[in-house]
Amino acid sequence: MANTAQLSPFAKPVRFRSEILPKFPALRIPAVPLLRRGISRGGITEITGPRSSGRMSVLLHILAQATARGEICAVVDTNDQFHPASAAAAGVKLARLVWVRCRGNTEHAMRAADLLLHAGGFGVVILDLCEVNRKVLNRIPLSYWHRFRRAIEQTPTVLLVCSSSAQTKGCWHHLQLQLQHPRWEGKPPFCLLQGLDIAGRSCKPVESAVQRLSLERTA
Amino acid sequence: MYACIHSSDAANASATQDALLALAVEFSPEVEQTCSDTVVFSIAPLRSMLGSWQQIASEIARRGYARKLKAHLGIAGNVDTAILLARKCEGTLLAMPGEEASKLADIALERLFAHDLEIDNSVLETLHQWGLETCGDLAGLPESALTERLGMAGVYLRQIALGVRQRALRVRAPEVSYEEQMELGHPLEQLEPLLFLFGRALGDLCARLRSQSQAARLLDLRLALDGAREYGCRLEFPVALDESRSLLKLLQLHLERHPPGAAVVRFRLRMETTEPRRVQGGLFLPPTPEPDKLQVTLARIAGLVGKENVGSPELLYTYRPDAFRLTAPDLRSFPPEADDPRRHLLRLSLRLFRPALRANVHIANQAPTRVCAAGVNGTVVERSGPWESSGEWWASSEWHHQEWDVALDDGALYRIAREVPADVWVVVGVYD
Repeated sequence: MANTAQLSPFAKPVRFRSEILPKFPALRIPAVPLLRRGISRGGITEITGPRSSGRMSVLLHILAQATARGEICAVVDTNDQFHPASAAAAGVKLARLVWVRCRGNTEHAMRAADLLLHAGGFGVVILDLCEVNRKVLNRIPLSYWHRFRRAIEQTPTVLLVCSSSAQTKGCWHHLQLQLQHPRWEGKPPFCLLQGLDIAGRSCKPVESAVQRLSLERTA
Repeated sequence: MYACIHSSDAANASATQDALLALAVEFSPEVEQTCSDTVVFSIAPLRSMLGSWQQIASEIARRGYARKLKAHLGIAGNVDTAILLARKCEGTLLAMPGEEASKLADIALERLFAHDLEIDNSVLETLHQWGLETCGDLAGLPESALTERLGMAGVYLRQIALGVRQRALRVRAPEVSYEEQMELGHPLEQLEPLLFLFGRALGDLCARLRSQSQAARLLDLRLALDGAREYGCRLEFPVALDESRSLLKLLQLHLERHPPGAAVVRFRLRMETTEPRRVQGGLFLPPTPEPDKLQVTLARIAGLVGKENVGSPELLYTYRPDAFRLTAPDLRSFPPEADDPRRHLLRLSLRLFRPALRANVHIANQAPTRVCAAGVNGTVVERSGPWESSGEWWASSEWHHQEWDVALDDGALYRIAREVPADVWVVVGVYD
């Protein structure tokens, strides 16, 4: 404040990124308390976690919200692991989804995501890097993330990156998920998987509170 | 005012038709070819150039005589009257405004029906039964009484007989060819100079498309190669395009993936057209990708990952696991759907391994106790199954699976399956 007082009254005040008002309303995600303010558009959101931590379930839920709003979305599937039946059960409108199957080629995945982001007009673009070898992930040039960020800023597009560990530099949201325990019904040998309880923490913006999420199995 | 030229030379019909059309085009660019021996055109713009209606009529007759046409000329204030006068008279007949009814009065009713074939001939019989023979007789009847007895057909005939019916010329649109071909001076081996020529040809074609309010549904390219067979490709577009830049880019991407293999000596580009996509964008609707831009993007991605790996998934009507096909995405704008409470639930989803991972599964008490596969290794701590799934027993694509949901001690939940006929265990996917 003292520095501000010494400035000339005609000096243009510096506006930091956090002060810039969002140009587009955030994408509301009601079922995820960690994202209670929604996902900011024009930025990168990252979801990380190990296997069975609910990454795909959260991604499909976000896709369902976006396609229900009438948006066209895209999934860049590095390891060809997207399950259309699960997506349909989660409420995703498959006709409004562009699915790019990269068959394990991470370079193709990065280039496909780049092309989609520069084409513009998409609501949500998902870059699924789960199950990609850590060595391959470490070889992804950092300039890609900078390029992605510049491609979508000031646009209504959300880039969702999903992987086992943090990859992006300069994401706006970073959610870390962890499996707590599966929910089984019945007693052995007649058990039935009912769902998963997962714990989520917001690494960016930093929040110490751990939120519990419940994934229900579709009947 | 309109002029009608009617030829009475039935012997040489096709030559007469061309000569009539050529004569009419000398006076007006918009010509109605009523039938093979009759043409009609507007002469109102000629008034300032040629003078009075009589002078215009004599000029038309003079040029017709120069062409050695055996024809008759009718001039009137509306198209139908001009046609009837030309068919009635010998030489030239001019009906000034207000004179139409009197000039048409002695024309037999049969000529009226020959003039317009849409009217049922039973109406003519009715008129004859009433004792009517000429247009003058028909024009003398009261309109309301005629409407009561003959309906709209009666009103229509009476208006023609009176010479008061106004209609526009039925000008046939010229047929536009959406084809461009070029013979090259010397064989071209490189793609870049060829694309330059394609760009010019596509620019002309797209200008033609836009002038006719059309868009390209399909682009067909034929290349005559130097010392090789003809090269052909057909690009079909899910959304019709009329931008030459997008078409050129799609053509370039295709030729880069499938090069012709020899130098090009001649090319032909042909388009099949359709109505362009017209969309009224809503102010409060979410934006969607531009269709032409998206097609180029998807073509680029298809060049990277293969055409069969890009599209919108569509579930097939079967119980077979992971049955889907890829189609073109639906780019229409949709309004937001009503809020559904079921969408607020987080659903457990499956992440598939494609292809499924071959696994060694230890069995104890008819249940899996340990799973070993590439990247999956652990002792089963909880399980659910087996869940039988089978189908298409009548075809070679028959399947029969026993599926288990297992929780391993590595902390993850998997779906494993035993393929019954082959007795092979696979890890289908992981719950994630």
